[in-house]
Amino acid sequence: MPEPILRLEAVGKHFGGVVVLEDVSFDVRAGSRHALIGPNGAGKTTLFNVISGVFPPDEGRVLLDGLDLAGVPSRRRIGMGMARSFQNIRLMPHLSVVENVMLGQHARPGLLRKLKPVGLLPKSRERDEALEVLDRFGLDAYRGQVVANLPYGIRKKIEVVRALMAEPRLLLLDEPAAGLNSTETAALRDFLMEVSARGVTLLVVEHDMPFVNSLCEHVTVMNFGRRIYDGPAAGAREDEAVLDAYLGTHHKKGASDAA
Amino acid sequence: MSGYMAGVLAILGINVIFAYGIYLTAAAGQLNLGGAGFQAIGAYAAAILSVELGFGIVSTIVLATLAGALIGFLIAFPILRTRGVYMVLATFAFAEVVVGIILNSDTLGGAMGMIMFDYIETPAVLWTAAGVVAFVFYLMSTPIGLAMRAVHDDEPVADLMGVNNRAIQVAAFASGGALAGLSGALYAFYFGFVEVQYFNAFLSIFVLLYVLIGGTQTAWGPLIGAAFFTLIPEALRIGEDWRFLIFGVLIVLMMIVRPEGIVTRDAIDRIVARLMPGDRRA
Amino acid sequence: MLIVQQILNGIMLGGIYVGVAVAFTLTIGILNFLNFTIPVLFMLSGMIGWSLSFYGLPFGLSEPLGWLPSLGIGIICAILASLVVERFTYRYFKAKHGDATEHAIPLVSSLGFLLIFEYMVLIAHGSDPRGFHTPFGDLDLRFAGLVISIPQILSLVVSLAIVAGLSMLLRRTQLGRALRATAENPDAAVLMGIEVNRIVPVVFVLTGLLCGLAGALFAVNYGEVSPYMGDQVGTKAIAGMVIGGLGSVWGAIAGGLIVGLTETLSIHFFGATSAQITVWGLLLVLLLFRPKGLFGHNAIGKGKF
Repeated sequence: MPEPILRLEAVGKHFGGVVVLEDVSFDVRAGSRHALIGPNGAGKTTLFNVISGVFPPDEGRVLLDGLDLAGVPSRRRIGMGMARSFQNIRLMPHLSVVENVMLGQHARPGLLRKLKPVGLLPKSRERDEALEVLDRFGLDAYRGQVVANLPYGIRKKIEVVRALMAEPRLLLLDEPAAGLNSTETAALRDFLMEVSARGVTLLVVEHDMPFVNSLCEHVTVMNFGRRIYDGPAAGAREDEAVLDAYLGTHHKKGASDAA
Repeated sequence: MSGYMAGVLAILGINVIFAYGIYLTAAAGQLNLGGAGFQAIGAYAAAILSVELGFGIVSTIVLATLAGALIGFLIAFPILRTRGVYMVLATFAFAEVVVGIILNSDTLGGAMGMIMFDYIETPAVLWTAAGVVAFVFYLMSTPIGLAMRAVHDDEPVADLMGVNNRAIQVAAFASGGALAGLSGALYAFYFGFVEVQYFNAFLSIFVLLYVLIGGTQTAWGPLIGAAFFTLIPEALRIGEDWRFLIFGVLIVLMMIVRPEGIVTRDAIDRIVARLMPGDRRA
Repeated sequence: MLIVQQILNGIMLGGIYVGVAVAFTLTIGILNFLNFTIPVLFMLSGMIGWSLSFYGLPFGLSEPLGWLPSLGIGIICAILASLVVERFTYRYFKAKHGDATEHAIPLVSSLGFLLIFEYMVLIAHGSDPRGFHTPFGDLDLRFAGLVISIPQILSLVVSLAIVAGLSMLLRRTQLGRALRATAENPDAAVLMGIEVNRIVPVVFVLTGLLCGLAGALFAVNYGEVSPYMGDQVGTKAIAGMVIGGLGSVWGAIAGGLIVGLTETLSIHFFGATSAQITVWGLLLVLLLFRPKGLFGHNAIGKGKF
């Protein structure tokens, strides 16, 4: 079994007296498509914030490629191969689509590169690369527009593209399908499949179960800040604890496909 | 060029450089209402270096610019502890303290001011201003400029994208202080004297208005803002008091019709699209 | 004894700052708006009061008025001016889109009004200071070697009475509760059925009233008004507000008095121009190391500009 790209060891987090995460451990295998699911308030977004370094865990460790991330500032993590999207789209409202995407290149090394007048040059490697990725994902038509005016689904996709520009090996996606219609969701799945095919590991928080089932082969389920299931996606549908979490303790037999 | 025109253009050049000094912090999301303090530092540094220490004009201007940068760098650390209204007030208080120190210093001439021995002419001011405009346009086109605008829009996300917010903000204050200091040195050499009364709260307010009215989204903003408010009153050829009254009315009207400033990204895009229908770059 | 006299003078001077500082703190606390027209509202009441007592009503409608009606009309004019500012400034505050420059709109717009009102007065009356005469111009109270002028005591008492009244209004009345709810959370206030759009003008009326009264007291106190009278008092009042803590009425009172004291004592010990450094230096240090001031809340004014 190869080294996991991301390993959580007994991660705990509390805000004041409220325990949000407790003893959460699981591995994300390199190259896998891994879903993190659970009812609202299960602590999924908090876990994402701990992994990306928005705040440190109170207990336990987060390891990227076997390296303990404790003390690594959040802004350095993208350069180590980890990029993320946000539950509520957080694109820069006053930057154009291309500029937002090019912001994803910021973490790449090289001080000289940061002094290149990309905005004034009619052609540059940075811009070409951004345009190429936009083109590949069918976003070419929007490239010069200011993002604030674009439709929701488009902005969702741009956010993923921006994260991809950092050339991450691990991509954290926080509810990428939320607010999308079924056509858009299908398009997003194909898009993420393509991303995955290029070797990027996906860790996806999502509520849309058909989407999760069609995209991810591995599932971690959380409830009340604890990990209650970790294993193949198919197994989660049969798991008692998972069914309890989603349907309450008195769930009926036969409702299991709802998970 | 008539003497009158030369005078107006020199003031325009100084104001443009000054406005870019305030713009650099504003572009990275910080409002600096202490512009007069930074300009005063440049002007008095120039006076001391030139009159008291006998430096040449060029080396004086360079050193005065560096003095502005150094003070901007040093003050950035405490100032960046504050946010929102507090930052506006802290920068404002900073400028008042600078003026107070000058006012109470005999070496700096107190309320009497200082007389310069050397002079520069309008073309020198305009060439410097052109250089500054070119520099800021260059800076804003680099990935660093992009990062500044990202910090302006959303600090936490900029951080997660790998932007060192603190470094960007400190650098913005330092380079902003440098440009304000440069404008102060040019002011001293062009007018031949410095007096502390000039660097009052209204000056800080005016220069921030040039920037905000011009628009902070693109590097065009301060240029247009400073030009608009330096040249329009001259063109109207009316009494000093009426100018400021009209300036006030224009500001109120601008905030109603174009609250994001005269120059916005959308406006630039539309102009580009009209001039170059084939070109779709951002 | 001289030092006691200085302390007394400082408190009296602080009494002038209090009204203006409270006006600043109310608009910041309730509307999250740094209203730069406050210094000119202060100046307007003094200058209009002087104009009426010197020329009478405009267009020769009356003989010069007495000092009391003059100042009364001056205060009303300050309130009206404040409402004009509300109409053209705050209205656009509502259209916030989470952008730095957009949040600065009312601030920038109020700077515009600062210029408009100040230069209107300058155009009408020129920049010279004008004497303002009241019956108790040189009535002094002498007590154990100390000199206190009657107008000084009057202004301190009136300032404190107004602020105490205001504080009662905020605490006890329906309107006060609505104001405080709006300050806490404008969105929640709307849900609670408070008509925020009706509350906002109330804040501006109070602002005009406080500044107008402070301007009138200044005129009575110093017997002199000028178009620039608001600049120094306004900026010192900002210092007082910050020292007390943004959004705290009692903080503004304490801050105003502290600034008055600092200023007089500084002038006494270090000379006439030293107050500029001590007052603003004190403010700067406080902002950097204790930004919530003496009595303020942490949350106010932190929002991005």
